[in-house]
Amino acid sequence: MSSERIPIQTAEKLQTLMFQHYMGAKMAEKSGGKIAWVTSGAPVELLHASGITPIYPENHAALCGAQKLGVPYCTAAEEKGYSRELCSYARTDLGCIFKGDSPVGGLPKPNLLVCCNNICGTVTKWYQVLQRHFDVPLIYIDTPFQHDEVTDYAIDYVLAQMEDALPVIEAVTGNPFDLNRLDRTVELSAQATDLWREALDLCVHRPSPMTSFDAFVHIAPIVTMRGTPECVEYYRAFLEEMRQRVADNVAATPGEEFRLGWDNIPIWFKLGGLSKRLAQHKACLVVATYTDAWAVDLSAADRTDILRQLSKVYTTVYINCGMKRRLQIITDMAEKYALDGVILHSNRSCKAYSFGQYDIAQILQDRYDIPALVLEGDMNDSRSYSEEQANNRIDAFMETLSARKH
Amino acid sequence: MPGTIPQLAFFETVCVDPYATARKAAEEGSKVAAYMCTYTPEELFHAAGYFPMRLFGRNSGATNQADAHLPAYACGFLRSALDMALAGELGFVDLMVFGHTCDSMQNLADIWKHAVPNMKQLVITTPVVVGTEASIAYFREELARARARLDEIAGPVSDDAIVSSIVLYDGHRALMQRLYALRAARPGCLSGREMMAIVLASMLMPREEHALHLEALLGALDQDADRVVAAGKPKVIVIGNVVQNLDYAAVIEAAGCVVLDEDLCSGRRAFAMAPAESEDPLEQLARMYLTPAACPSKHQPGFDIGGALLERAQSSGAEGVVILLTKFCEPWCFDYPYLKEVFDKAGIPSLLIEIESNQPPSEQFRNRIHAFAEMLGAAHGG
Repeated sequence: MSSERIPIQTAEKLQTLMFQHYMGAKMAEKSGGKIAWVTSGAPVELLHASGITPIYPENHAALCGAQKLGVPYCTAAEEKGYSRELCSYARTDLGCIFKGDSPVGGLPKPNLLVCCNNICGTVTKWYQVLQRHFDVPLIYIDTPFQHDEVTDYAIDYVLAQMEDALPVIEAVTGNPFDLNRLDRTVELSAQATDLWREALDLCVHRPSPMTSFDAFVHIAPIVTMRGTPECVEYYRAFLEEMRQRVADNVAATPGEEFRLGWDNIPIWFKLGGLSKRLAQHKACLVVATYTDAWAVDLSAADRTDILRQLSKVYTTVYINCGMKRRLQIITDMAEKYALDGVILHSNRSCKAYSFGQYDIAQILQDRYDIPALVLEGDMNDSRSYSEEQANNRIDAFMETLSARKH
Repeated sequence: MPGTIPQLAFFETVCVDPYATARKAAEEGSKVAAYMCTYTPEELFHAAGYFPMRLFGRNSGATNQADAHLPAYACGFLRSALDMALAGELGFVDLMVFGHTCDSMQNLADIWKHAVPNMKQLVITTPVVVGTEASIAYFREELARARARLDEIAGPVSDDAIVSSIVLYDGHRALMQRLYALRAARPGCLSGREMMAIVLASMLMPREEHALHLEALLGALDQDADRVVAAGKPKVIVIGNVVQNLDYAAVIEAAGCVVLDEDLCSGRRAFAMAPAESEDPLEQLARMYLTPAACPSKHQPGFDIGGALLERAQSSGAEGVVILLTKFCEPWCFDYPYLKEVFDKAGIPSLLIEIESNQPPSEQFRNRIHAFAEMLGAAHGG
């Protein structure tokens, strides 16, 4: 086993693909194509099936964050009166709008906004702000939070809103909505999410062929391009490389000794630093609820009523479910991936993801004997992150894990 | 000087120890259902034999026990309520009811279930969208689920009982509307603090009793047609989310302003449900509760919150707007820059103060209110 970290080759393709994604949207804008800004958990298949180019402000914010540009953009939004306590993705993107630039030269203006609250209530407010700013139609899809069992009438409600969305989309494109084309789009989404799932599943292998830090980077196409052939092609190559790494016993974390899970959105501006810190402890992040959230099951078997299938799938994503299900998913992951511990990122920007983590951590430890660390941070705002404190906590956590093992 | 109206004193008494009324009722055999969000249809719980009571948390004090369950960036409203439960102060509550409200409230329901396992709980996942037929249809079904759960824990709830409770609550809301209308017609006939006590008392005691006191008060105000608490002072309106400590209104008025009106979650928004028609009482409730203009935690297609609040300020004759927001309240903080812009354009000075609503007014709060009052007063005098 090599002691050097072998880089993932597909990363080069990823850069090109994401560049094309943002440039493609700009080209579309120039040539009169229609652009929609959408939330990361929205049923984007409706847009691909209509020839509308979707753009994801959340991904764009993460891109700014990963380039350590979150704070200047957040500050620009704060200067306009947006509280520092608001979501740092929202502040980053609003800051880009106010400043009129970004690492990709700003986002093309939308003809349509699509907001689905299956990821948080923050997007409800964020997209209201965007609607006032751009004065374009807003498709809003309310997916009731699932505390316990999924109810049929909640799915009926989401379905009714999907049906109401179609005429709005038709008005933007000027063409009738094509359900056959939607079927083909969902098939492409299903292929991509299946490939993504298979690649993530390979991390059960010891040593793991990738870390969740790799997955945080390679998640971009599944978030922004699912429903397109390019996305399927990309994950085919990605999966193939991962399979080869497993065959060659390539360790993403050389000398992998500890296997950890991660809960919540990454700390984008510290991906490198955290990755190195954990690697020093020979600890590999092998699974994350965040990357897992896009490995949804869109299997053809359920596709008899395609809008209903989408309604159900998008209503039951990880973060739209209560603590009981979240805990179940984390404990299942702990077993499947043979985790030594779980890090729960208490993300100041994301109350929906973070509230309840203290209790989840306690239950993991008391009831399941799974060590859990709650790490205070923020996905994009480095002012809400203390590196020294975080490192001390990680070091202490790793000592505990080490003591358990030896 | 305004004349003292004996009928007013009662409401203040209720607010001195906010949960004493419910505690006493529980001791005497009533079942108390506590709720936190204005979108909770109290009528349903009333019909099931409960004494519905709004839980605001405490007015002061530390929250050490809740701090172990909620991160530092959770609002004091939730933190304080949870701390009361963990400290054993809610032993008189038989059923804890959660609405959806916001991300924080949604997750608090699950935390509460785990951390306070001995208290019965019912979560109503209120739709986020208001004012559409699809959301009303969904809410009706969600209320049917809630009712089925109430059938299990409190015995069958009949349609007739729900209808009676709706009639009772409609009657009480009509009285509150009369009071708001009177206050609009006679600016300053009640101080902000007095009005706040009347409003809060209604959420802390049985509605039928509150209605009686309200009728008596309306009669007394009619008798005392010249009553004015503070003529000639800078007039303000208070908008925001939850303010349950009377001292906040008192400080604003002690600084030299008169509070003419409010648009608060713990205020007039709790009485905004308009009567609705339906053969089916659950649909009637769903319709009523999803009709009022949206709270910032909701989405209402076509609704302009800036325009609505500007109209509220202008129609009250306010010269300034005090925006009191519970710290960490995301729905309101997103709307704030737009609201400020709307008030600025209309030439109405506004002041945002983020407050810890579960703590007494801070020194900083007093200072900022004083400065604002002085600024308004200067404009007023000039």
